[in-house]
Amino acid sequence: MLLFTAMFTVHAVRALPALAGVLLATATLVSQAPLQERDFLSRVRRLTIEGRRAGEGYWSSDGRRLVFQSEREPGNPFYQIYALDLASGDAVRISPGMGKTTCAFFRPGSDEILFASTHHDPKSKQYQQEEIDFRASGKERRYAWDYDPEMEIYSYAEKTRAYARLTSARGYDAEASYSPDGQWVAFSSMRDAYNRSLSIAEQKQLEVDPSYFGEIYLMRADGSGQRRLTNVIGYDGGPFFSPDGTRIVWRRFDEAGLIANVWTMKLDGTDQRQITDFGSMSWAPYIHPSGRYIIFASNKLGFENFELFMVDIDGRKEPVRVTYTEGFDGLPVPSPDGTQLAWTATRAGGSQGQIFLAQWNHEKALAALAAAPEKARSR
Amino acid sequence: MTTLASDRFDGRQAGSSGERLAGDYIDAELRRIGVLPLPGRPDLFMPFEFTAGSRDGGSIMSVTRIAGSTTTFRGAKDIQALSFSDDAEVTAPAVFAGYGLVVPESQGVGYDSYAALDVTDKVVVVLRYFPEDAEPRLRSILARYADLRYKALAARQRGARALVVVTGPRSPNSGQVVPMTFDTALAGSGIAAASVSDDVAAALFAGAATTLSATQQDLDSGNPHVAGIALTSTVTIKTSVVRERQTARNVIGYLPATTQAAEDKPWVVVGAHYDHLGHGDQGTSLASKDDAGQIHHGADDNASGTAAVIALAEALAEYPRRRNVLIALWSAEEIGLVGSSAFVNTPPVPVNQIAAYLNFDMVGRMSDNKLVVQAAGTSPVWGRALERANVAAGFDLTVQPDPYLPTDSASFNQAEIVSLNFTTGSHADYHKPSDTADKISFEDLDRVVEFAAAIVRATADAEQAPPFTKVDQPASRGGSIAGVRVTTGTIPDYATEAKGLLLGGVIGGGPADQAGLMKGDIIVEIAGQSIANIYDYTYALELLKVNQPVKVVYTRMGVRRETALTPGARR
Repeated sequence: MLLFTAMFTVHAVRALPALAGVLLATATLVSQAPLQERDFLSRVRRLTIEGRRAGEGYWSSDGRRLVFQSEREPGNPFYQIYALDLASGDAVRISPGMGKTTCAFFRPGSDEILFASTHHDPKSKQYQQEEIDFRASGKERRYAWDYDPEMEIYSYAEKTRAYARLTSARGYDAEASYSPDGQWVAFSSMRDAYNRSLSIAEQKQLEVDPSYFGEIYLMRADGSGQRRLTNVIGYDGGPFFSPDGTRIVWRRFDEAGLIANVWTMKLDGTDQRQITDFGSMSWAPYIHPSGRYIIFASNKLGFENFELFMVDIDGRKEPVRVTYTEGFDGLPVPSPDGTQLAWTATRAGGSQGQIFLAQWNHEKALAALAAAPEKARSR
Repeated sequence: MTTLASDRFDGRQAGSSGERLAGDYIDAELRRIGVLPLPGRPDLFMPFEFTAGSRDGGSIMSVTRIAGSTTTFRGAKDIQALSFSDDAEVTAPAVFAGYGLVVPESQGVGYDSYAALDVTDKVVVVLRYFPEDAEPRLRSILARYADLRYKALAARQRGARALVVVTGPRSPNSGQVVPMTFDTALAGSGIAAASVSDDVAAALFAGAATTLSATQQDLDSGNPHVAGIALTSTVTIKTSVVRERQTARNVIGYLPATTQAAEDKPWVVVGAHYDHLGHGDQGTSLASKDDAGQIHHGADDNASGTAAVIALAEALAEYPRRRNVLIALWSAEEIGLVGSSAFVNTPPVPVNQIAAYLNFDMVGRMSDNKLVVQAAGTSPVWGRALERANVAAGFDLTVQPDPYLPTDSASFNQAEIVSLNFTTGSHADYHKPSDTADKISFEDLDRVVEFAAAIVRATADAEQAPPFTKVDQPASRGGSIAGVRVTTGTIPDYATEAKGLLLGGVIGGGPADQAGLMKGDIIVEIAGQSIANIYDYTYALELLKVNQPVKVVYTRMGVRRETALTPGARR
């Protein structure tokens, strides 16, 4: 559930030379199957229009709403969280409007929505103004997600309009999602960088890239009982529950932050299984409501060319390519009934993402996965 | 829609009997729906005059040498008035002013052909186009001020009494007179202006210290300090332009507000042009040799938009509304947005009372669920309004901020009125007889109407009118096509956003066709200039030279390829 821009920029500079080699090595594996995008996606359309960019759209459990992040209000250049009614088209802001926010999720069986936010940080306004001034200066930067250590997870109750803070550990806490029964929250945290004394090498690592310390955690929906599930160096993030609530799917970066793969595990952190092995950045996995396959994004075909892929739930076969359109395609999220797909893409032009929506052909997806070759070990 | 595009209306050329029949048909449809004449008007017709065409009315020029011998030239081979010329007779000494170019200081380039030259009460002789060998950046700037109208203005402002244009020996179309271009202006531009042949130029330069050829050679480096020269002759020039004035009709009415009208700008305007090219004999037809002169049906362009506006009126009539909805079907769009300009220039309701204008131009050819909405930068409210309406409508929407469009919404943007234009984009039948009703996607046309109705209703019912945002014209556009003297035979696809110039087609047998380019190719580089969009492309075209092959880099099905393209001359 990490923002794709962050993905892009944080790793971009260091990854390029190494990745070029990887791409050469895997080039011969590119599928020759005559499948195309319209086999899986029909009535493709842009959903969000207002504002500079939007992304990370997640469905309510009845499939009638989508919660997402968007930069669309004057005065705050950072993402805020909005919930879009898919019948009326009305979008309402969920987050307080101040600071940075990211990664929202509807709590099943309740009126609550969680997201990560820095609005409690007294410097929020100052950061907003600095960013506005920077953009007004006409300078361009490859926007870097800064893993603000003030980022904490909140839940918002729509009826009472009350915010409840679920995390308080120093270090970036975000990328959270609820279990299907609404009782648990899986999330990513970089608290490990702040709650112990670091070696000199680790200290340096923190300055360059805090995401190195990212690990997956689990807590109850009220924020109690926080416990760590992963313990491997490198950025573990973007956890989501399987539809039956028994497993978590997430993506794990290697130590250098160059290569990511999709993994699954049980809720206690055991039985960790690697599902993909492209040797590129494979991330943003989400399990289809049928429980039979995972849709994810990978830049296997070119460093800046993220496309959607899908893979059977156990990763026995080669992943199947889903999108074939120029630009970024990532953060796929199927609707609860499995008939639609929301994802974030730049296919409308420009470099800023917006949320797209399409009909999802589940039958064709199953057929293509069944016809996919057994997985070849590339490395 | 099918009726509008039928043979009966004969291509609906502005001022023709086909256009009158189409106007009558639209009038009947609107009255059936309950659209009323505007307050104080008897019916839905708002006629306006326009220039349907112009021709030379027998311009003559005599060159008298100091020695006393006089040569007189007449006839289209040797002299032809420029289409914007005044009718006038002038006798005055001739002076040569190079390319007759004046670049405003704001461009950061010092170039003024008149810097050391007094042309008061003289006949100014200038070269057509701009210096041939100037370095690319300078060329691109000079090209923007090379339009003959601009040169005439510069001469007039410096006191000249007439402008005579020569196409130099080193330029494309060398020695030929400038063809009478189509110009919808109702009157001349305040100066006698004509182009002349190389024979006339020779007579003008006879006895001068240098030849035209040598002088052009000096000028072509782009050095502005090459002095103008006095010619040793006196010229008598008589220019005459015959402008054929015709009358066309906008069809305009309104659905009054059903409650007390909103105070903040109580009008919303929806419109489309209903005219088309007739049989295509007025310039912008793209018919091939085989079907030239046939009826240009204009089913998509713009029977589709006309039908959409009528259907929109019908849909809106069903609902209460807080603003008056003005329904406008324009004529004479195809010859330069003349109908909508007439409306804006002599508005039947004050333009500052218009909350927004929604235009529909070519909305009948939807493919892959793609709809383009243009001019969205004219108000900050459009992002949310489009997002909201499209959640239900479900189009794969492309939203473009640019309001500088070749359609009637541009007339409204010019008048600082918030606007939007809906289109499904260009296609291979554009401006050809084959733009017929059987190729229209009627179901999708209905969806466009439903989508637009939601936006009109939201706009009509809002307390506040949408605020207007002035969108800056892209800097690289300037004089654009005026400076382009070459043709590449490409048909850009404006509907689809691509990193580069996406080709909607190529003109058969044209330079692009011969270079092997085809529909669907994306041009990313031409002559070393990288191309990110249509503006970059227009800019790059200014740098090309006739018959000089350039490298074109393009992608086809995602694969990068190269070819050589040899531009031809645009006449």
